Amino acid sequence: MEVAKNPELEKTIESTKQNQSEQVVEHGEKQAQEEEDELRSLLLSDIGDLPLTPPSATQLNFVSYFTTDFTKPGHDHYIYRHANGLCVIGLAPTHVAFKDEGGIINIDFNVGKSDRSVLKVSGKRKKNAMRSESNTALCKVSTAKDSYIVRCCVKGSLLEVNERLINQPQLLNSSADREGYIAIIMPRPADWTKNKESLITLEEYKEKKEVSL
Amino acid sequence: MADETKPSSGDSAGLSNGGLVSHKSGRVHSDAVKDLLSLGVCERCIFRLVSVESFDSDLSSVSTSTLRSWLESGDEEAGSRICIVCLGILQLVFSDGKQTDCVSDYAAKVAELVKQEGHEFDSFGLEVSVPSILVDNERAVLLYLKGKYKSEGWVEGEKISVKDALKVLLLDPLQALLGAKSDTSSFHIRLTYSKASDEAQGASETTHERKKRKTDEENGLTCMSQNSFEKVYEPCILSLHCNKMPIFFSGRYFKYSRNVSQTRWIIDDERMGEASVEEIIGGNILPACLGDSYKFHAAGREDIDVRMLGSGRPFLIEVQNSRKCPSQQSLTEIEEKINNSEKKLVGVKDLKFIGSQCWAMMREGEAEKQKQYAALVWTSRPLEEKDINSVSSMKELKILQKTPVRVLHRRSPLERERTIHWMKVEKIKGSSHYFLLHLCTQAGTYIKEFVHGDLGRTTPSMGSILGCRAEIIQLDVTDVKMGDS
Repeated sequence: MEVAKNPELEKTIESTKQNQSEQVVEHGEKQAQEEEDELRSLLLSDIGDLPLTPPSATQLNFVSYFTTDFTKPGHDHYIYRHANGLCVIGLAPTHVAFKDEGGIINIDFNVGKSDRSVLKVSGKRKKNAMRSESNTALCKVSTAKDSYIVRCCVKGSLLEVNERLINQPQLLNSSADREGYIAIIMPRPADWTKNKESLITLEEYKEKKEVSL
Repeated sequence: MADETKPSSGDSAGLSNGGLVSHKSGRVHSDAVKDLLSLGVCERCIFRLVSVESFDSDLSSVSTSTLRSWLESGDEEAGSRICIVCLGILQLVFSDGKQTDCVSDYAAKVAELVKQEGHEFDSFGLEVSVPSILVDNERAVLLYLKGKYKSEGWVEGEKISVKDALKVLLLDPLQALLGAKSDTSSFHIRLTYSKASDEAQGASETTHERKKRKTDEENGLTCMSQNSFEKVYEPCILSLHCNKMPIFFSGRYFKYSRNVSQTRWIIDDERMGEASVEEIIGGNILPACLGDSYKFHAAGREDIDVRMLGSGRPFLIEVQNSRKCPSQQSLTEIEEKINNSEKKLVGVKDLKFIGSQCWAMMREGEAEKQKQYAALVWTSRPLEEKDINSVSSMKELKILQKTPVRVLHRRSPLERERTIHWMKVEKIKGSSHYFLLHLCTQAGTYIKEFVHGDLGRTTPSMGSILGCRAEIIQLDVTDVKMGDS
């Protein structure tokens, strides 16, 4: 028995099916759009009041210490200590080298018994790191007028020196407290506790040197 | 009752088939049996060591007193002595010192202990652990038997161990009592027998005796005499433990809070952050499984102050010794409970039970080698259109990152090359110094250091690209593709 096909009905069925699959795609797209909108609102809603100048990463993550006139007058250094114990060492703004005209033009890590810039520290245990005392020589910075020895200031393992300074000594003049840092030292907790006693805080440093930073 | 199938000659030594007595489960050498009984070996050990036929499950249905009657020992006292070979294990002695006559009673007690542990199971693997001294005890007695009955055929066969004999006795009754099959199952029942004290040695020699025997052997004397075996006064103590192999659940998590760490983080007895993803999820699944403990595994991680949004991060919860497996319905309820909680710290999706393919899933999660982020960035100079264009035009940017100072204390000092696949700047209304930076990077890229430069140890950085100072205020992990708009 043949069932006559009704072309009209067929057409309706076809277009309904097409609508349905379109609807599925549409629904999928709509859902994706909704998710994206939700994400966007999450991203933006979290932005509270934005200060004009936010604190820097250094200010947030490190505690600043200073040592002034270390072994010689005018030899002022900063020690930025991270919460994990690592200390970033560099020249404080009042270091005598900055007073020379033209600023620092050269840096040499080959002082004391070895070239500090060729040390190869490896592994989690920081094998082969040079052990330093606070008065161990770190490097020598030179201006047109004179050269000055920079010391470690912290007793510990020397993990890294900033060898970028060799080719770009001007970083010391432009941003001694960031890209111009000199070295990273890892002190033992007991050594740090003792060391800390001879260092001063940012507030004390400002007072002492009557500098506004 | 015993009936002789072979004519027994007067002397048993030297005749290969003389002296054997038949019983329902096989044949045993009657002289050897008398010897072992007088030494203090129990009925089942005698069958193990002396029977010509193998020790099989037919013997499990035979009570100790029936066995004794077959051996015609007539020595009622024998029952109360602890076996010098198995130290009471095959004598079905309970830890309170009472002894049972039939295997089914003992099996019932074991089944009761198993039920007390509360596991749901339909199959089990039975494991038995016995003190190592039993090996020495058995060796000593066999040495004696081989010395006295050297030419008998049954002396040399391989003997089923005490451990295996106990399993043979208990498996069928336990299967019936527990309503479960015995096979290679993820649920193990472990019977651990331990010596009551150091004195409960059994047949094996003390050090002094071993030295004496060694010198005797050197001098040509190889016989072990009956006097070498000391009495045993205390039976072994049974302790039963059930353990289910770990089960796994998978899902994806979201982290909505900037004060929640991924895993429990405690420094100097103080918790960092107000909660952890691990504890929120694991702490809800563990009670539903009635497990002992859980482990949290995630495909990658984010800092405590970074939110995890978008499609979520794949994770696994591994539960140790679960007593029951929650249904998908319960898992859905747990998911809803976490998602609807008051504080909305963490979200979960697609929480489900997962089988052995869980580790492949995790590797796949990490293999999503590209991660997308949205960072709120501040620059020291106002942003211009040309900056936005130059940043957006950078594709597959290669950067070199020295190990960030913030993790340098616990990671190797290395220089890692990473790729920033694309970046897009989204301006923020009312500010020319702040903007949203959307970026897609290779897995393992330190985003914060890419923005602020980490004292110049990451190059290039947003600061170096824009020629000014850049700071990152906050970071979110997103996975939603940003369209071209």
